[in-house]
Amino acid sequence: MDYSRPELADRLASEYVLGTLRGPARRRFDALLPSHPALRRAVARWRGDLMPLTASIPPVEPSERVWEGVQRTLFASGDAAPVPWWQRLSLWRGVSGLATAAALVLAVLLAQPPEPQTPIVVVLNPDPSAPAARFVASVSADGAALVLRPLDGFQPTAGRALELWAVPATGAPRSLGLVSSSEATRVLRTRLLADTAAFAVSVEPPGGSPTGAPTGPIVSLGRVQPL
Amino acid sequence: MQASPIDWNTRNEALGALLARVALGDRAAFATLYQQSRAHLFGIVLRINPDRAQAEDVLQEVYVNVWRAARSFDAALSPPLAWLASVARHRAIDSLRRRQAQPVMVSTRATPDADEDDDLLARLPSEAAGPLEQVSDAGEAGDVSTCMKGLASVQRQSLALAFYQGLSHAEVAEHLGQPLGTVKSWVRRGLMALRECLERQRGGAR
Repeated sequence: MDYSRPELADRLASEYVLGTLRGPARRRFDALLPSHPALRRAVARWRGDLMPLTASIPPVEPSERVWEGVQRTLFASGDAAPVPWWQRLSLWRGVSGLATAAALVLAVLLAQPPEPQTPIVVVLNPDPSAPAARFVASVSADGAALVLRPLDGFQPTAGRALELWAVPATGAPRSLGLVSSSEATRVLRTRLLADTAAFAVSVEPPGGSPTGAPTGPIVSLGRVQPL
Repeated sequence: MQASPIDWNTRNEALGALLARVALGDRAAFATLYQQSRAHLFGIVLRINPDRAQAEDVLQEVYVNVWRAARSFDAALSPPLAWLASVARHRAIDSLRRRQAQPVMVSTRATPDADEDDDLLARLPSEAAGPLEQVSDAGEAGDVSTCMKGLASVQRQSLALAFYQGLSHAEVAEHLGQPLGTVKSWVRRGLMALRECLERQRGGAR
């Protein structure tokens, strides 16, 4: 479609603003807007023309949770400091977006017979924006420990270590110690936080994070969801 | 609750100043902007998606989007309230599409019978005696409302269904029991007639 034709551009802009431009046509239009000043002007003009119609709609007070949600989404980290990774929403979204991949991994694992009594609690998926490592965290048969198994050979850069973190729903993550990238690591259950919402693995200097908080990239993250 | 209807022009001046500060990352200005516009935008969203919980989710998305996109807002192109209302309407319409994509069917429509048009008209703000007349001297809002009243009734009905309830061409056609092509042409001609009317009014004011 030739969007440079003024008549067509104006017609599309009017339907875009009215809301009757739908589906692929709307998405195409959205994509074109940033690079087409004429389209933007046409849209702005229709907005100016039509939106005063909303003045007749009786205002309705939303509940407090809306503003709370806005603030939580935008400013969860407190001040202007960079948002810590464990509160970054996009990361969580990325994790939930990987649900299908996680399900596949689980299916493969469940098909293998090793420890039938062991309930798998969580698959740690790679952070899509960082080098990947996959682990499965499960509770050991006697219930005394969390067992973390690497799924594929992720090798951290030479001289770096992998550290496991328990991430509570609110507050800072707590270290659960270093984990191996090649064999199962047991973490005593007494060290787990009662309110652990997720586990994460980060790349740290040998011996673990010097600060008590994750310093390196997160290579794996999984939300706790009992099967 | 804020007074209804709103004074479009006065509100725009205040919001324009706030939005400029929001673009610079001023959170206090953002909070004030929210206080001054939330009820208006929530009213808009609720008309399109009457599910209150979903409408509140939409409203939350709207303000997250406003904070992130404030820098791209160009006051020279359109008034702040027009921009805010547009963001709210698009998000609300998207939320309807999401809802329809879910397996649960939600039908707000009565079975088609002779009374349907009457029921429908009763829900249309543009058809009600009150709201549009109330805004008749609210600057631009008055202009476009006056022009709406001057449209042929089929054009006005089609536009009102699309605008206030966020219906697609096909949904308007279904509501009015008319062929899709006919409704598209009513909408198109209605929009054109509105614009011509607004231009006449602005020309006359100069």
